Amino acid sequence: MHGWAGKILDIDLTNHAIRTLPLDAEKARLFLGGRGLGARLLWDLVGPQVDPLSESNVLIFAAGPLTASGAQTSNRFTVSTKSPLTGTVLDANSGGWWGMQFKRTGYDVLIVRGKASQPTQIQITPDGVKIEDASLLWGKTVSETTAALGQDNNRRNVLCIGPAGENLSRISAIMNDGTRSLARGGPGAVMGNKNLKAITVVGSDKNAPEDRDLFRFMLYETGKLIKASPLTSQALPEFGTAAVMNVVNTIGALPTRNFQASQFENAERVSGEQLTDDLLVRNQACWACPIACTRVTRTEKAEGEGPEYESTWAFGPQCGIDRLDVIAEANYLCNDLGLDTISAGSTIGCAMEMAERGLIDSPLRFGRADLLHDTLRDIAYRRGLGDELAEGSYRFAAAHGAPELSMSAKRLELPAYDPRGMQGQGLLYATSNRGGCHMRGNMLGPEVLALPRLIDRFATQGKAGIVAIHQHSAAAIDSLLLCKFTNLAVAEEYFARLLTAVTGQSYKADDLMRIGERVWNLERLYNLREGFTRADDTLPPRLLNEPSPAGPSAGFTVRLEPMLEEYYEFRGWDTNGVPTPAKLKMLELDSLVAVKEDTP
Amino acid sequence: MIDPRLFEEFRDIGRDIYVAGLTSSHGGNMSVRAGSRVIIKRRGAQLGRLKIEDFIETKLNAKDSGITRASTELIVHRTVYQKTSALAIIHCHPRTAIALSLTRDEIIPIDVEGSYLLHKVPVVAAEFASGSQEMADIVADTLREYKILMLRGHGVFSTGQTLEEAFHWISCLEEASDIILETHLLGEERKEFRKHSESYSKW
Repeated sequence: MHGWAGKILDIDLTNHAIRTLPLDAEKARLFLGGRGLGARLLWDLVGPQVDPLSESNVLIFAAGPLTASGAQTSNRFTVSTKSPLTGTVLDANSGGWWGMQFKRTGYDVLIVRGKASQPTQIQITPDGVKIEDASLLWGKTVSETTAALGQDNNRRNVLCIGPAGENLSRISAIMNDGTRSLARGGPGAVMGNKNLKAITVVGSDKNAPEDRDLFRFMLYETGKLIKASPLTSQALPEFGTAAVMNVVNTIGALPTRNFQASQFENAERVSGEQLTDDLLVRNQACWACPIACTRVTRTEKAEGEGPEYESTWAFGPQCGIDRLDVIAEANYLCNDLGLDTISAGSTIGCAMEMAERGLIDSPLRFGRADLLHDTLRDIAYRRGLGDELAEGSYRFAAAHGAPELSMSAKRLELPAYDPRGMQGQGLLYATSNRGGCHMRGNMLGPEVLALPRLIDRFATQGKAGIVAIHQHSAAAIDSLLLCKFTNLAVAEEYFARLLTAVTGQSYKADDLMRIGERVWNLERLYNLREGFTRADDTLPPRLLNEPSPAGPSAGFTVRLEPMLEEYYEFRGWDTNGVPTPAKLKMLELDSLVAVKEDTP
Repeated sequence: MIDPRLFEEFRDIGRDIYVAGLTSSHGGNMSVRAGSRVIIKRRGAQLGRLKIEDFIETKLNAKDSGITRASTELIVHRTVYQKTSALAIIHCHPRTAIALSLTRDEIIPIDVEGSYLLHKVPVVAAEFASGSQEMADIVADTLREYKILMLRGHGVFSTGQTLEEAFHWISCLEEASDIILETHLLGEERKEFRKHSESYSKW
């Protein structure tokens, strides 16, 4: 294969039907793979009448044209589905080895439909595709399941859910290779609802570049930039993603105690530097990755992977906890239970504030590190208060009459940047199609890290265009599929040439940006079809109305409305946030919706 | 009305361009895109002495009275914004790069920084090399693939997410052009030190 294998594996668990379908070349041209292709297939397969936790929802696992090519970080894959947490279009992507191995099975996409009558697993190997009983695996943790199915990096790779997914927690993850996660938006619950415990892949095909000379040249040039960037060659390998903890805290953008403050007094104790000093055993890389940002860490009680910056924040500053060992163990626990660390930590932080305000009867309080691990287990097994927290912070807070205390956008818990100190990040959260998320065009780059150039983080004019461009770039990278950390050093013009080398088809940098824009607009159309409106492009009232209380961002709220207006204008959407017919035509999406002709 | 913070960026970069000798007293222009509008320097304003009243705001996709005072190259700026992801554009007249554009179809830097950042800068030509739709289309189509280009015998068009980024590419190109020229003037054999440099022409 040169980029695309040209095949979709379609499995219906209800009747154990297994089909191989051709990949529509036109869809591949327009959406590439991964997130883009997943959204396009989801558009056809899951309409607004479908409950995300019904058998009519589907799981779409998709590789991209660069997956398994050997390009730097070409190990990733996505899952697309309708989110049980947000009700929006959802995709989550993950690294490790599984994505590379799946591509080697000779398929670009795996669609899983229906619902098995009992616990089930899928095996895709050179011997064929099998649907098998998984009753003995049901109830097992992620590490137990992964080991039982013979995980062997580079040869045999396992993807599964843990107890949280089995118990239909709306903040549950799908895990691959033991410790990597497709976490956000609750895809684990969709898999659990299908009684699907695991998917094991063994492949032998190769994704060989069509133009080997150009590919070698591009590998060299890309590698040069990754080595030259202090972020990708020093900060991430040495400190992991938590390298930014002190940076974000210093500028007053570290959400603390459920976003009541923008700086954490003990940030240094949970920083990347401290993690390296106290807990780091070694760093580790996903397949074909020269960056190696993964942390293998050890506490007195356990050893495992992580925590990443976002997870450290979620169990740390968000919960007022400064014990790095407790935070790391919470991360190991989430990996094993199959929970989204950001949503789990943020939901617990929300509950801590509600308990302090007397809105719920619970011993949870900010700083109560001793309660953290049991609360996570209670969420995964839906015990006591955990049963409510398993629904995510918005449903939990709303059930107790205080939805405003959920720090979420479109019901997805916000990550580790306080947008009162990063105005563009606020616009990003509010407009993100899968809900409040930093991985859809993180403004940490331009607003803090000077990538590609430092812009005024408090300014609003002109911000909309930069946010939109970053959203397009993120959507393109998620469709190729590569790790976004390469984008810290390497620009779209490199990705376009890598794609040209692998597929033999000519792509320009702006072709990729156009594809990213197409994906973004398709996702928007999906959400509009689900009933979302401009009113959903918003943030928790706290961020709009309560100024940051102290530090370098003191006095600022998010000035969302002027940015949102400029954003809709930039995108060619009407004032309700609906793409205009002209925009849809330009993006070749007009055939998806019945559109009226532009009238003068 | 232009945001004061944005004006400061225009003013400082305009001054830097003039002081660096990258354009004549009244040559060159700059713009940024904000939503569905373009903020662009007015016609005749000196890049090195910009004032807040030297900027006009005009629509991206429709004509309005703003065009009566806009830069001659507004048509190019609009077309580039319509066809590419650029958020800022700078046009000016770097003399060494212009000289090279008169003798070759592409400028391939031979120094480390130019090689890293630019690889290759294409040279394009139009019969009416200023303010024409023909030129605008050629420039915009080329900028879908490259972030900076030379218009033969006229000057540079550079794009970025910010004015600073667009300025960076111009500054880098002129430095790389100076180095090409000076190395040529030395008249000695050049020692190649870059692996895969033969592939730069394919960039």
